[in-house]
Amino acid sequence: MLLKLIGASLILFAGTLIGFLQAARFADRPKQIRQLAGALQRLETEIVFGQTPLPDALQHTASNAGQPVGRLFQAVADELSAGEGRSFRECWDHAMRRAWPTTSMRAPELTVTLRLGSILGMSDKDDQLKHLRLAAVQLKAEEDAARDDQAKYEKMSRSLGLLLAVLVVILMV
Amino acid sequence: MDIDVSAIFQIAGIGIIIAMIHTLLKQMGKEEVAHWVTVIGFVVVLFMVVRLLNDLFQEIKTIFLFQ
Repeated sequence: MLLKLIGASLILFAGTLIGFLQAARFADRPKQIRQLAGALQRLETEIVFGQTPLPDALQHTASNAGQPVGRLFQAVADELSAGEGRSFRECWDHAMRRAWPTTSMRAPELTVTLRLGSILGMSDKDDQLKHLRLAAVQLKAEEDAARDDQAKYEKMSRSLGLLLAVLVVILMV
Repeated sequence: MDIDVSAIFQIAGIGIIIAMIHTLLKQMGKEEVAHWVTVIGFVVVLFMVVRLLNDLFQEIKTIFLFQ
């Protein structure tokens, strides 16, 4: 009986925790998209006004951005400085895809970022500026969508976790 | 007798929880998921009822066709 009670409370606890984690993902997504947009703004400044070489610019951006997003740029900078004769685009794609799961962001933002990666460092600064602006606009749209999702699903996933845990407990009694 | 009562409470509990999940999902605009949850809950409860009915028929068999 006691063992049953302990097991039931453990399942309840775990279910509630899963629900809260899911809700936290929904809450973090708009924040991180805004962070990413800010970091791209910073990168734009580096490119247009500082005319910094891309690896240094990425390094600066990484150290200035907040944590989960800074890691993305850090990964790209690391891959670039590792050399191995790959193009910037390959490094950007690979690093972004590898570091993306550590953030709460989803596929649409990744698409925008990857598209930007095929342009950066390929042409003159006006063209790059144009594409950075485009990416910023697209990220803004994604942020709005993510905010809608947050309003919709944050509370739902929180209570859904608890309810599913209660259901499992009742089924197993 | 004791087991029967707990089974009834279990089915009632499943019903309440499924109803809550259904309203929650419906409110958030995920009607298909809500319907699937209801169907799955129904099937689970159906299995439990079938088991109880099986017990009942066994009982009847042992009472009327005893050998």
